[in-house]
Amino acid sequence: MRCNDAAGPLLPAAAPGTSLVDVAPAWLCAAHTRLASPGPHPVPETGLTLRGDIGGRHFEAHPTVRGDGSVAWWLVDDTGHQLAREALRRERERSAFLAKASNVLLASLNLGRCMDGTAHMAAENLADAALVIAPARGQRLPVVTCVRGGAPATTTVTVDLDEVPGLAEALRGFPPVPSRWIDPATAPGWMTPERFGPVGSIVITPLPGHGVPAGALILLRATETAAFSDEEEAFARLFAARAGAAMSAARLYAEQSTVSDMLMRELLPPDLHQISGVDFAGGYRPSADHERIGGDFYDVHPATVEGAGALVSLGDVCGKGLEAAVLTGKIRNTLHALLPLADDHQRMLSLLNTALLSSHHTRFATMVLASAVRRGSAVDLKLTSGGHPSPLIVRADGTVEEADTHGTLIGAIPNVSATTTTASLAPGESCVLYTDGITEAKGGPMGDDLFGDERLKRALAGCAGMPAEGIVEHVQMLAAQWLGNRPHDDMAVVVISAPRTHHLSAVNGHTRGRFTA
Amino acid sequence: MTTHPNHLELTTVDAQDSVRIELHGDLDHDNADLLVQEAVAQLTARPALTDLYLGCADLGAVDSMGLCALLMISRRTTEAGVRMHLDDRPARLDRLLTLTGTLDHLTAPPPAGSVTPSITGESAMAARPTGPDSTT
Repeated sequence: MRCNDAAGPLLPAAAPGTSLVDVAPAWLCAAHTRLASPGPHPVPETGLTLRGDIGGRHFEAHPTVRGDGSVAWWLVDDTGHQLAREALRRERERSAFLAKASNVLLASLNLGRCMDGTAHMAAENLADAALVIAPARGQRLPVVTCVRGGAPATTTVTVDLDEVPGLAEALRGFPPVPSRWIDPATAPGWMTPERFGPVGSIVITPLPGHGVPAGALILLRATETAAFSDEEEAFARLFAARAGAAMSAARLYAEQSTVSDMLMRELLPPDLHQISGVDFAGGYRPSADHERIGGDFYDVHPATVEGAGALVSLGDVCGKGLEAAVLTGKIRNTLHALLPLADDHQRMLSLLNTALLSSHHTRFATMVLASAVRRGSAVDLKLTSGGHPSPLIVRADGTVEEADTHGTLIGAIPNVSATTTTASLAPGESCVLYTDGITEAKGGPMGDDLFGDERLKRALAGCAGMPAEGIVEHVQMLAAQWLGNRPHDDMAVVVISAPRTHHLSAVNGHTRGRFTA
Repeated sequence: MTTHPNHLELTTVDAQDSVRIELHGDLDHDNADLLVQEAVAQLTARPALTDLYLGCADLGAVDSMGLCALLMISRRTTEAGVRMHLDDRPARLDRLLTLTGTLDHLTAPPPAGSVTPSITGESAMAARPTGPDSTT
């Protein structure tokens, strides 16, 4: 063989006359043998570039068959190219991994699943084992541990944060301590998963959240695995940034849903039933079906003293959503506290008004108060409207009367006034309290008519003699049909009825015996 | 006036010592704040104002937040010693104001003195022990 000057340093053993096998690497020899073998070449040369390493560098080899049957091998150094290609592949893998991580982590707003996902992905892609630590509640740290190939496991450990260098800092959101500063031998028992063996190297990275640290990520490698390079540590931080954002979103969401759950428990309208011989039924449909609370409310309070009436309050707070719900809560609490005054509706409304007045806003509520007390087989009612649509009384013969009560809305104007009216329900008769969500339901055949007072009265005329629950359901059903799928306001209905069942004992001599069928 | 008849549009006309805001469209949850902001801006910018006219001829639907806005403007004008006028009220608005017992409050001339948040008689009654009230 022969070689030029450039090939000299590359293949120092290559002197003229030596055999190729002795000087060149095996991949080149094999190719040469293939090429130099007699007969037609089985493989077309085009497009198939031969590559291999020589002396730590990477080369492309291009053969030229010369006239005398010898082969000239042109060796082209493409080490740089190869390195670039390798780096590109790694980067692509990493971006793909980060994209996947974001997808997986953001798919769930459950903090536990987010921590599991973080630990699992970190263990599969970044280290031999990973621990995700949520910020401490006191001394106890919730920890999710995952070993490569295993499933994430959640534990709670009581930890002295200072025994692991860098952990306290990471949990407070400070920049991570370089891996080489952490002595794996100092790792406490809770950090080493079972059957993991000795730890070779450790990376502790903060999980940055939205303004606050969301926890820390600990990556472990076994002794037989290479230690973390600077590049890998930097990449772990990139991953941690995504995981931290997802975990902190999940935590915020969890807090928010705890708050709204709590509010809901407090604000959900109560289930109504018979109290002291008077039938009550109520129904509520919030404006958005996925919200369970809104601006309408109702309550029925049993009499605080024997012989007094049960107090029904039904109202509508202006606005919607959480702000309306908060005002609703205030109103219901205040009314509850004012129950000893339940006999004097006007005074209750005045005191409630004073309690709700705020210099910041003019949010108000309109409401109806109704006291209902059983007298014999009839139910005596006292009704007061604070700027609310008047209650409707459904008589046994199908007449629908509007209670004659008017008043000022509550919570916006210093001076309020209201008139109270009384009525008596014979057995089978009902009084219907409703919010304007019913009458202002927009829909019908043309799609833009209001359900309206008249239509409601006509519907109620057909409800004569129906039990309280039946009337509530009928009104709700009609409103729902009227609306179709259109958006609507909160809708609340409460029906107070004089029950007919008790009337059976009083049939004798009473003209209303015909209702006992 | 506008291509979206439901969207609230305000037209403000200044005079010597009064401002007239014409309301076109719905005064509802989505744009009630717009009116309050405009009215408060006018009140702040012109301390010498004596009258604020809200032209309601082209006013569409008014919901509870719309009424809330009118009450807020009424409160602010009273504080500033300005008289608020709800002109050309459609029947629908009158019905709402009547139902909610706010018609007098929003259309009556402001009291000569300062507004005192008193519910006459009630404070005296509230101070009384509640025991006697809760008898049967």
